[in-house]
Amino acid sequence: MRRNELFTAGRLRLIAAAVVVVNGFFPAVWILLTSVKPELELVRKPITYLPHEFTLDNYVQVFRQQPLGLYLANSVIVASASTVVTLLVSACAAYAIARLRLRHRDLILSAIIASSTFPLVTLLVPIFQTMRAVGLLNTYPALILPYVVLSLPVCTLVLVSFFQSIPRDLENAAMIDGATRFGAMWRIVVPLAAPGVFTAGILAFVNSWDEFLLALSLNSAARMRTLPVGIALYQGEFTFPWHIIAAALVVAIVPIAVLIALFQERVVGGLTTGGMKG
Amino acid sequence: MASVELTRVAKSFGSTKVIHGIDLRVDDGEFVVFVGPSGCGKSTLLRMIAGLESVTDGTIRISDVVVNALPPRARDIAMVFQDYALYPHKSVYENICFGLRLRKTSAAELDRRVREAADILQIAHLLDRYPRALSGGQRQRVAMGRAIVRDPQLFLFDEPLSNLDALLRNEMRTEIKKLHRRLRATSIYVTHDQVEAMTLADRIVVLSGGHLMQLGSPDDIYHRPVSKFVAGFTGSPPMNFLPASVARPNGVALVELAGGRERFALPARWQALGATLVGRDFEFGIRPEDIGVEARGNDVAEIASTVIVTEPLGAENLVTLGTAGGELTARFAAGVAPRPDEALRLRLDLSHMHLFDRQTGEALRP
Ligand SMILES: Nc1ncnc2c1ncn2[C@@H]1O[C@H](COP(=O)(O)OP(=O)(O)O)[C@@H](O)[C@H]1O
Ligand SMILES: [Mg+2]
Repeated sequence: MRRNELFTAGRLRLIAAAVVVVNGFFPAVWILLTSVKPELELVRKPITYLPHEFTLDNYVQVFRQQPLGLYLANSVIVASASTVVTLLVSACAAYAIARLRLRHRDLILSAIIASSTFPLVTLLVPIFQTMRAVGLLNTYPALILPYVVLSLPVCTLVLVSFFQSIPRDLENAAMIDGATRFGAMWRIVVPLAAPGVFTAGILAFVNSWDEFLLALSLNSAARMRTLPVGIALYQGEFTFPWHIIAAALVVAIVPIAVLIALFQERVVGGLTTGGMKG
Repeated sequence: MASVELTRVAKSFGSTKVIHGIDLRVDDGEFVVFVGPSGCGKSTLLRMIAGLESVTDGTIRISDVVVNALPPRARDIAMVFQDYALYPHKSVYENICFGLRLRKTSAAELDRRVREAADILQIAHLLDRYPRALSGGQRQRVAMGRAIVRDPQLFLFDEPLSNLDALLRNEMRTEIKKLHRRLRATSIYVTHDQVEAMTLADRIVVLSGGHLMQLGSPDDIYHRPVSKFVAGFTGSPPMNFLPASVARPNGVALVELAGGRERFALPARWQALGATLVGRDFEFGIRPEDIGVEARGNDVAEIASTVIVTEPLGAENLVTLGTAGGELTARFAAGVAPRPDEALRLRLDLSHMHLFDRQTGEALRP
């Protein structure tokens, strides 16, 4: 058997996919399993992989011991609000870049890309000082505003490419049919760019949902903590209550997983075909 | 219903001028076709009338209202696009009624009008489908339905048939003509296809390089072209051109082909003009149907030729012929099918001859 038959393209692809999936899912699966084991089982040797004793007590505890419900609500509010604002702003920006005859279009696009390359730590101090100066520390806008700014570049880029894939004459037809330019964008381009809008929306939501550094620095008051901050600060209380933390993590992961699963349906393409000659 | 008036309309993209000062009036109820080679600015001109392109210079009036600054929605027009531009996420029904919905038409009225338009275009059975489930011809009909349902004062068409196969194209062409007879709406139709232009138009606007070359009825354009460009653009196969000059050896003006190897007298009505043309260079123009093997009429010139190929079309034969002055294409009746290399005496019907200045391409008129 020749070597290259052993490593066919198909097999290599399968191996690569397996590595990615295992690497990505193993921690999540491990956390899920941990979250349904009683505390004693975690420290028992030999290690049990599947729980011997299945329990949901950790989930009850996690909401009792800590205001996890509050953190969850904070995260949902901050992530949802920043996603909505990001989508509105980036849709308009992307539309302008993709459609209007802008002067310095390429320069604007480069500036957007450049702005997304600053490491967050370098922005931390200026953002903190700004928020303190305007008295927004420990408020929702303190996180929503910077999250919008952080998600805008990538969302704008995603939407630009989606908008560019939609034939201009569709909008022209709508404008001749009686729509304003904004109306044509809203009724024709945005629905057709739905896969792109969902993609951008998920990016923005996940960005905000996962963010830790700003959330820790700007909203450290207990009542304003988001999930990542709330969960991270569990550790300091006494020992490491891994079973509780695992349950909290599952609570944090599930909304994102559900969100992506829901919208994946919508992201499936095929929506844009058929209107034009092809 | 509406008239459209263009006054010195010009368009530049950056520093590139693509439309050079066009003056034109389309009368109420008229069907005008813009025709010209690809890239000559037909679409740009149409889109300026639609309000999809800004007007760099000049004035556009629709029904005597200056519309330069009006957005498309305020112009009360409908447009059929080359690629149909149906809304992919809307059903045929919703595609057709989109404009009515935007205008807050009552539900009953809207439904009545959609069904009426669908009946006219024979697409009533397709109303629930989505564009992706339609054939090219059906999409074309839906695009037309979307235009007529609004009952606009002006219809614009940008090469609406160019994506259809030949058979369907002829069918839809007839359909458009029937529709115009029925609705009598002012229409501007863009095409690069001279057959479409000839068959549909009340008047034709021939464009080239952003300039208006000629404006006239199909008959004018075909029989009285003002330039070699226009003459060569119409007819299929188009007019034949042979390099020629005029001589007047003994008081009679003659056309000389191939440096005098072939020569014949200009018809009587050309004689006066012919006397002034001696010594200049021309293109002699004659259409394929004006070349025969038997004498027809009085003004006939005879020249020698050799058959190169014969292309039978069933109802007629296209014959490519070699002459001293160059190649000619002739259209013969089905019974006349000469073989290659056969020598033929050709009779040119000079009552339909043309002369064009070889430098400027301008047509001369006796
Ligand atoms: N948006 C544009 N920017 C720059 N040049 C353009 C634009 N649209 C059209 N042109 C140019 O204008 C000329 C006329 O184009 P068009 O009106 O589309 O021609 P036609 O419809 O007769 O084929 C072409 O040379 C084309 O390259
Ligand atoms: Mg065009």
